[in-house]
Amino acid sequence: MKRRSSHPDPARLHAQFERVWGSPSGWRALTVVNHTAIGRRFLITGAVFFLIGGLLAMLIRAQLAVPGYVLLEPDLYNQVFTMHGTVMMFLFAVPMMEGLAVYLIPKMLGARDLAFPRLSALGYWCYLFGGIILTASLVLEIAPKAGWFMYTPLSSAAHTPGMNSDFWLLGVTFVEISAVSAGVELVVSILRVRARGMALHQMPIYAWYILVMAGMIVVGFPPLILGSILLELERAAGLPFFDPGRGGDPLLWQHLFWLFGHPEVYIIFLPGAGIVSTLLPVFCGRPLVGYRWVVLSVLATGFISFGLWVHHMFTVGIPQLALAFFSAASMLVAIPTGVQVFAWLTTLWLGTPRYQVPMLWLVGFLIVFVAGGLTGVMLALVPFDWQVHDTHFVVAHMHYVLVGGMFFPLMAGLYYWLPHFSGRLPSERLGRWGFWLVFIGFNLTFLVMHWTGLLGMPRRVYTYDTGLGWDWPNLVSSIGSFVMAAGVATCLLDLLLHVRFGRPAGVNPWQADTLEWATDYPPASYNFLSLPDVNNRHPLWREPDLPQGIARGEHALVEIDHGRRDTWGVEALSGRVRDITQLPGNTWIPLIAALLLAGLCLSLLLKQYGLALGLSGVILLVLLHWSWRNGPLLSPGANLTVQANQPPLHWQTHDGPGLWGMAVTLVADGALYLSLLFGWFYLGIVTPVAGPTTVKVGAGWLLGSALLLTVGTLYLGGLLRRLRQGSEARLGIHLLLLTLLGLLQVTLLLGALQAAELQPRARALDAVVLVMLLYSLIHCALATILTALQAWRARLGYVSARQSYEPRVVAQLWLYNLGVLWISYLAIVLFPLGWGNGS
Amino acid sequence: MSRLREHPLHSILGLVIWSLWFVALYAGQGLGCALAPPAPADGAATWLNAVLGVFTGLTVLLLLGLALFSWRSAAAGSPQRFVLRLAAGVHLVGAAATVFIGLTLLGLPPCA
Repeated sequence: MKRRSSHPDPARLHAQFERVWGSPSGWRALTVVNHTAIGRRFLITGAVFFLIGGLLAMLIRAQLAVPGYVLLEPDLYNQVFTMHGTVMMFLFAVPMMEGLAVYLIPKMLGARDLAFPRLSALGYWCYLFGGIILTASLVLEIAPKAGWFMYTPLSSAAHTPGMNSDFWLLGVTFVEISAVSAGVELVVSILRVRARGMALHQMPIYAWYILVMAGMIVVGFPPLILGSILLELERAAGLPFFDPGRGGDPLLWQHLFWLFGHPEVYIIFLPGAGIVSTLLPVFCGRPLVGYRWVVLSVLATGFISFGLWVHHMFTVGIPQLALAFFSAASMLVAIPTGVQVFAWLTTLWLGTPRYQVPMLWLVGFLIVFVAGGLTGVMLALVPFDWQVHDTHFVVAHMHYVLVGGMFFPLMAGLYYWLPHFSGRLPSERLGRWGFWLVFIGFNLTFLVMHWTGLLGMPRRVYTYDTGLGWDWPNLVSSIGSFVMAAGVATCLLDLLLHVRFGRPAGVNPWQADTLEWATDYPPASYNFLSLPDVNNRHPLWREPDLPQGIARGEHALVEIDHGRRDTWGVEALSGRVRDITQLPGNTWIPLIAALLLAGLCLSLLLKQYGLALGLSGVILLVLLHWSWRNGPLLSPGANLTVQANQPPLHWQTHDGPGLWGMAVTLVADGALYLSLLFGWFYLGIVTPVAGPTTVKVGAGWLLGSALLLTVGTLYLGGLLRRLRQGSEARLGIHLLLLTLLGLLQVTLLLGALQAAELQPRARALDAVVLVMLLYSLIHCALATILTALQAWRARLGYVSARQSYEPRVVAQLWLYNLGVLWISYLAIVLFPLGWGNGS
Repeated sequence: MSRLREHPLHSILGLVIWSLWFVALYAGQGLGCALAPPAPADGAATWLNAVLGVFTGLTVLLLLGLALFSWRSAAAGSPQRFVLRLAAGVHLVGAAATVFIGLTLLGLPPCA
């Protein structure tokens, strides 16, 4: 480790750092963007939603305890089980795991914050407001009631005419802004914001898991976002995407939902497995066996899990060969998971395990999750799946996988990282009681439920007759669920009591190897006073006194009198430092943006479309203001000079994190567009369509627009090349010309929309074309506005040859729009539809 | 070439190719059945199984070739040995997954 020869006074430095990085209290606490505060908020909010989801589960089990019992009327029961699944999946599991990652990743990677702190804050507020809107529907007794996967036609306006389904479609989409923004944030932060020297293969294993999980969120959530938008458009505006009478197809919803839904299981499981791979070595006192194999298997799991979506649709009448593709992929995904299980078992075998409370939860995980995985392989077999489809067997399997794969590791992690939140350790006795009650209660509930399902009890029935053999297993399950609830309550009691009565944790209480234990507990908002170099996977095992050296300011980037929030920006593979990443300070912008988005969500819910349009305009202005406060305007009043021996600030380079952020965001955007394209081909080729299959669009206008966009993108490319060579002559004028070109291109696109003879309410294909054209219109208009802003910034001197980072970010959007518009042109104008539907 | 080889995306290329193959396989099966569905009585001996089979074979060859390329690049003493070996492993996993799923083409009629 490289040490500085003379050290400033640590106490004075801490005070100075606190002035720049500190999180204010009172009302101004709402402006905090720091990852520690945001991560904690995610965790606490997630815990509240877990309790709400748990209470709903208790209601379900109380209702089903004995035959013929009616605690809840059927309609309310439907709302309760729908909201139980929705709350647990969208408001607890994903945000909780993301929140933990938001909290831990910078600390583990030796950084002071994530790459885009304002985005984390926006994500949190969207999650909170979306969650409140969703759960409010339950209080109003107009909650979603078509099941957590909202199958059409049950969820459509014809069969669920009230606001119930709208709450789900709009609320979940709002919450998903949070998931996707955290996904983008985590991918870029892991790749670009680490300790100096930390190469990819020296990252803690947890970072690999989170990298894959975040990547999966980026690709996996957009299909559901698209599906929700389309279904809401069908319900609100009558566009018939899923109505077979007008050329739509309910199976399209199933495809879009499960394109998200199956990867979702692994999005939840992988961070859980990451906790296991992090904690197990600590409690075994040795490194994880097979780090490289585990990384390989995590990557394989991440990809193969996308090839499983149709295994939820085995009973809908898909040809056998296609079923076999998905059945094989479903079996295949067990192999990389098995590799990890063997790595954990070998680590246990070769280590000297200490069975403290976190370790108990890990062992519980191994037992429960492996059992759930085995029933998963059973369900991958098509004939078996046909037998137990939509029975309680599937419910039991799902809970073994999700509770085993997510909840058990999460509890292990919470007990393990508890000193981070309180500086204290929990009670060993209460912790053990809590674990055993949950473990016994869980197995009593769900092991028995496999039999209930095999005996033929369908899921989602609000009651049942006696004499079917379901009486005693249901009673046992209900008793078990209350035992489990008692276990959760015991853990909760332990967590509350330990804040006052727990033993002080001391330094590195579990003798861990990773850098998050090199901070204070609770940590300061800047994590590390000085940033150490890291060139191995176990920095605290290699150098146990590292925390003290960091706190004394013996390592790098201890300068703070400039008033900036700085951390290292590194090369993705090698971990070599390439810039100082300057991070933004506290701001109201994320909260204001989220409040406006909540307003938009509510106005759509109440069908106040004029208000929604107005709010959309205001939101755009707020977000543009956000984008304006970048580069030299990131920290008003801060000194922007760097020392001679240090790398430049990130916005003074050609390749800052924002460039990666835009790229990853466009991957998410591309996943949404490709899902739409899938819908186009699906409805055009597979779905039988009555009447003509051609769609009349303004082909000439569309071609003209695409050609103009090509010219604009090439023009921008040339401009960037000249900037890189140091030529910035008339930059503002060039950007202004490009803006005018963009305006003309958008006008042609509007012309295409005008010239198209679409009947979007009468024909699903026309409705898809309308959405495709609007998609391009919005994107191209945004690119034009951003280019105009760049022209303005160039005029003010914020963008130049030395600071050419921002136009590069915008150029990616131009390039993306170009690809999308040409693909749309080829698909709409040139691709002959109706091959297979007899027209 | 060296920039591409040592790009972070190289480490996942094998499974990206697998994903594209998988989507193309499912889409090809759907398209084939919509366009000119073979008779169910023909079993697996159909033009569609053959086309998808050849496509699968070519994909496996590509993945194996790329695995070999990545492995040799790692052996040549690159500073990014970990990523290159990982890439080799990912290509192999992709190839194995392609073979395993592709085997179903030998036994089932495509549109029944």
